[in-house]
Amino acid sequence: MSAITKTLYPLYWRLLSRYLDKRQPAVPSVTLVQKLIFILPTRYGWWFFGLIVLLYLLGTNYQNNLILLLSYLLLSLFLLSIVLCYQNLSGLTLRSLAPGEGFSEQDIGLTLQLIAADHDDKRHQMLRLQFIGQQHQVVSQHCTSAITLNIFAGKRGKYTLPRIKVSSQYPFGLWQAFSYVALTQHYWVYPAPAQQSPAAGIMPEQDQTTARQQVSDDTLSTYRQGDSIRHLVWKRLARDPATPVVRQQHTPPPQLQSDWVVVPAVSGDALERALRQASRDLLILEQSGASYGLKLPALTIAQAKGPAQLQRCLQALAVC
Amino acid sequence: MLKQKRLMMIWLGLQLAFMLLLQEAFALWVSLLFAALLLTRFTTLVYTNTSLSLKAVNVIGAGVALALLFNLKQAGVLNFMLQILLLAAMLRLLALRQLFEARQLVWVHYFLIGCCFILHQNMLVALVITAGLFANIYSHYLLFAPAGSTLKPGNIGRATLIILPLWLAMFLLFPRLPPFWQIPTAKVASTGLSDTLDPGSIEQLVQDDSLAFRVEFENGVPERQLLYWRARLYEDFDGRRWQENSLRTSSNYRNVSQVGSPGATVINYRIIAEASQQRSLFALASPLQTSANVNIAPSGLVLSTKPVSQRLSYQLSSQLQPVTILSEQEQQLNLHIPAGNEQTLAFGRQLKAQHPQVPALVDAIASHFRQQPYFYSLTPPLLGANSVDQFLFDSRTGFCSHYASATALLLRAAGVPARVVGGYQGGDWHPEQGYLAVRQRDAHAWVEYADQGRWQQFDPTAAVAPQRILSSLDDALSAEQRQLLTSPWQRNALLNNLRQQLMHLDYYWSVWVLGFNDDNQRDLWQQLRQNLQRFAYGLALITVLALLVIALLWWQRRERPTQPQAYRLLSKVLSGVLQHKPVEQPLSEFLRALAEQQQNEQRQLLLALAKYYELALFNDDTAALSLLKQQLKKHRNALRRLRFGAQNT
Repeated sequence: MSAITKTLYPLYWRLLSRYLDKRQPAVPSVTLVQKLIFILPTRYGWWFFGLIVLLYLLGTNYQNNLILLLSYLLLSLFLLSIVLCYQNLSGLTLRSLAPGEGFSEQDIGLTLQLIAADHDDKRHQMLRLQFIGQQHQVVSQHCTSAITLNIFAGKRGKYTLPRIKVSSQYPFGLWQAFSYVALTQHYWVYPAPAQQSPAAGIMPEQDQTTARQQVSDDTLSTYRQGDSIRHLVWKRLARDPATPVVRQQHTPPPQLQSDWVVVPAVSGDALERALRQASRDLLILEQSGASYGLKLPALTIAQAKGPAQLQRCLQALAVC
Repeated sequence: MLKQKRLMMIWLGLQLAFMLLLQEAFALWVSLLFAALLLTRFTTLVYTNTSLSLKAVNVIGAGVALALLFNLKQAGVLNFMLQILLLAAMLRLLALRQLFEARQLVWVHYFLIGCCFILHQNMLVALVITAGLFANIYSHYLLFAPAGSTLKPGNIGRATLIILPLWLAMFLLFPRLPPFWQIPTAKVASTGLSDTLDPGSIEQLVQDDSLAFRVEFENGVPERQLLYWRARLYEDFDGRRWQENSLRTSSNYRNVSQVGSPGATVINYRIIAEASQQRSLFALASPLQTSANVNIAPSGLVLSTKPVSQRLSYQLSSQLQPVTILSEQEQQLNLHIPAGNEQTLAFGRQLKAQHPQVPALVDAIASHFRQQPYFYSLTPPLLGANSVDQFLFDSRTGFCSHYASATALLLRAAGVPARVVGGYQGGDWHPEQGYLAVRQRDAHAWVEYADQGRWQQFDPTAAVAPQRILSSLDDALSAEQRQLLTSPWQRNALLNNLRQQLMHLDYYWSVWVLGFNDDNQRDLWQQLRQNLQRFAYGLALITVLALLVIALLWWQRRERPTQPQAYRLLSKVLSGVLQHKPVEQPLSEFLRALAEQQQNEQRQLLLALAKYYELALFNDDTAALSLLKQQLKKHRNALRRLRFGAQNT
């Protein structure tokens, strides 16, 4: 059974996204209007409908008008909640502020801005947001201005943002109003920095000891929605479940001799390895505060320093 | 969310209400068990705010369910179902941890609310159950709402406005299915007359002030002396107790076709019977026709198809004439004399000798009761084995059943077939509301004897205590006996008045809400259809008008675009040319550039257009706007040529 759904799901999604692309092509900011919102009963909604049928049968069989009245009242409630559910989502505006970036095999957080209709934050309740095909989801009780959603990054490259599923079951959980929103935004997946870099000539032993010393100095901060759970401090969590804590990792700044990071003209696995080295070297160089440049087979980035330079270089690596 | 005490308290309260409301369906030990479960939940909630472990709850649940299963035969299927449902809900609440469990709980609560209506249709109780329903809907809402959210009265009001018409329309118009399978009914003690008549059974019944049934008459109330509501026939006598014959109790007889004799008055009426858990219903004299939900059995008895477990409304038309004798066998049955009561039998034979004619004989019995010192009392002395002898010649004090029983035996001794009829006599007429309320206290017993092919009615009580028949039981009794009938709070005038008003409300409730059925619905549809034809033209007109208004509104909205009017005017006329305009270039500039390429006249025109356009747009000059319009109109042809030229290049 699950095998069938597994094979059918991509097909279904392909058809659906073809339809959605026509209906809502990607734009920088999307306001949910009638043509974008779909409503279907939830599983609990089906159960509720079953209850209504059951009560109706009970009422007709006992010739009991009060039970019939109860069943009709619940049916009215069921129907009304379609409208309420729709109203809860309608008018909500989604916007993506900045492209996301991160290293491959990691979670990349993307910040979305939610703007309530008429700026009435109480109008939208119990919103659930999730990138299509991603595990991570965020439930927002009210319309909050910024929400961070995670994407698990795969291979390096520049990707367009997948559709975001915005859904809500408020107020009775009988219906789910949902929308697949496409925003014109992309995210960068940089090559993951290599663990060791003998080519750059750093002494590994020294590196490890300093790293161990540094662990205790890592800054800890409270968990925010969207932070990767990989960074959670589990021991702290066991002690105090109320306030989860994440570790902001800092690697020690080792020294590199050269201020040019060079990627040789290779291909396949060798290229990937070289890119990972380069990624690591760039990070080290940026931390050391020196000016540095990048030489790719087809591209050279002049020497400079600062976060913008690092970003430029990493982006070049991502699409190399 | 589930840590909210508010939610837990709502559910606890609901379950307590279910336990009390469904009390009738539970044996005492079951109730005690449920109470214990609720108490456990309450204490854990208040002191520790934790749930029991699932394992413990499962063990408890299995044990109780097994016990209930063993009790299944005694409790009946419906009661068993109710017990299991409530047990499931309580156990769920005891071990509640997850959100989905809470949702299941809410679901089961909805169903239990429906089940409460099986047992209770009284208006006040229905109100209580409705309050429970709203509490459950509220808890349902809380489960899906953000933490700490509250309902706004405005939102509730708006929702009510939408739901109310929808709900009522469904109730009035949604098709109803006939009951299509046999459903279990609750095993609840029956009320009203039983199938046996002891010397003291009616005295007990009349102390019950509850309603037995209500009657609406089509053409005014008949006189009080005619209101003998027949319910049961007692034909087997064992010397002390009267009993229904097995012929009557066997349920295999169907609706008997009744032929009315010409000349007799026919009255039409509707009876709304209270739940009695019995099949026997009430009718006057000889019923001719009924609605489909009840049957007319032989001898003018009316029976429902199944025990009346909730209020039942049926239509009847009766002929005010005694019922006909069915067969010789029936007469023989009613001549049977048991052993004992020798004195009575001798007296009967003696009367027969004196009065060979049956009517004269009956008159003689009546005058015997009237002339001898006989007393009508709610508290007659207890009687021994030869009860009729003792009553007739010894105590001479009795209630209607004593007189009926003695008369029937006297008649049998005289060779006249006779039987005791159990039912109700009279009732309280409420002229404003237009119904007759018949209570258990109107329970009565009288006699029918065979004469001239019919079972003639004779009420010996009328000879002893005529007030009982002509006004009410209260008037026939002495003051201290009347005290027995009224509980202290009934003597309070205000309370009594309140009780009356409630009873009237309850009447409307049962007529409009409980009594609404297929027939009413069909009538309503028919009326709607007829009126629809009548109002079809009006309706069509209104629809067209509404469509026009909508179209107008839509048009107005279209007419208010963001672009200024001058721009729209120009772009309409020069649409072909303006295609070549770069986006960033202002319109007037484009026109001037275009003018440079044109001949003299065209050039002047374009320059003028640009000027007016700028004036109209940036100076809000209405005169310039009208000039622009004029120019465009005047030089339509020239502009068309320009457009044509632009398309060709």
